[in-house]
Amino acid sequence: MRAAVARWFDNAWLTLAVEVALGAIFVVAAIPKIADPPAFAHMIYNYRMLPGAAVNGLALWLPWVELLTGAALIAGVWRRASAAIVAALLVLFIAAIAFNLGRGHAVDCGCFDVRSVGKSREALLRDMWWVLARDVGMLLMAAISLAASFREPRRRWPLARMRKLPAPASPGTA
Amino acid sequence: MTSPDGPAPAWPAFRHALVLLGLAGVAAFVSNTTASPQRRVAWKGAYPDALRVPARPASAPSQAGSSEASGPSAPAPTAERAFPPHPDRPAADISGDDARLLHARGLPFLDARRSKVFAEGHVAGARSFPVWEADIDARVKALFDEGLDQSAPLVVYCSGGDCEDSHMLAQRLYMIGFDNVLVYTGGFPDWTAAGGAIEKGLPR
Repeated sequence: MRAAVARWFDNAWLTLAVEVALGAIFVVAAIPKIADPPAFAHMIYNYRMLPGAAVNGLALWLPWVELLTGAALIAGVWRRASAAIVAALLVLFIAAIAFNLGRGHAVDCGCFDVRSVGKSREALLRDMWWVLARDVGMLLMAAISLAASFREPRRRWPLARMRKLPAPASPGTA
Repeated sequence: MTSPDGPAPAWPAFRHALVLLGLAGVAAFVSNTTASPQRRVAWKGAYPDALRVPARPASAPSQAGSSEASGPSAPAPTAERAFPPHPDRPAADISGDDARLLHARGLPFLDARRSKVFAEGHVAGARSFPVWEADIDARVKALFDEGLDQSAPLVVYCSGGDCEDSHMLAQRLYMIGFDNVLVYTGGFPDWTAAGGAIEKGLPR
């Protein structure tokens, strides 16, 4: 049973799908933040977890980290590094949301949209639980990618083995 | 499925991670240096109280135009109403009625929202002071250089609700000596709801 599960997670198609999807999510999330750093700085400030001097620097740097690691994850280059950074970011995001949920401080997650939409506190808190669930799901995806990258630092493309097979012998010559 | 030479060493992955993080920093630097002032931020933020969680609003938003913001003992706004300086604190909150009174007196209004939002509509005659944009220091300095009376009322506003941008702007103005900054807490939504005069167009 355990072996069957392990084999399923070891599926090259699954790993490829997970890495492309996770990478795409990170790239899509990075674009609005890169387009409008002041708005993203505002989002980070609203979390109330960083000293004022660090807010802008993180708002400028983090979206580019997301973009580059997302792109690397899609392309399958520097697999371990990109999967590890994505996993670490997700752990940070989960911690930040959970910390603010814990102290009852409602924040706009600022994950994909950096405009403040003026939701009520209750709506924001409800959303934060969804964000938490979503981030945990994405962390599972990152874990699949990370585990695969430990088995193979380079991506094993599905069908690669098929391509390497010798051309089928024509009938009659065998 | 393990590669024949055992698990891959950790060092290359660590190096790759550092390169990715470093490249992100370089890209961020280039992107921020080439951005327009509306899209740029200073690398070092200047936000006092960045770790303090704001007090929760006591109840649902009050009806627009009420004078709750100035406290229960606030006098009814009349033409004679005075707004004395308050050098002991950066800002005093004022109601929509007070704001309309001050607007009628022709006192300066400063809009703390993003310049793009300002262009879409602002209090008639207001000036743009987008606290989240990189040129805010230059704008505040220019205001200082105009040599205004620093104890005369100066009204700041943003988008109402739990928007804090106007308080942030008030803090900056207080730091350079303005000690009669009044925060119009209802902000632009309250202004339009009460039918106040608005203007559209780019920041001056």
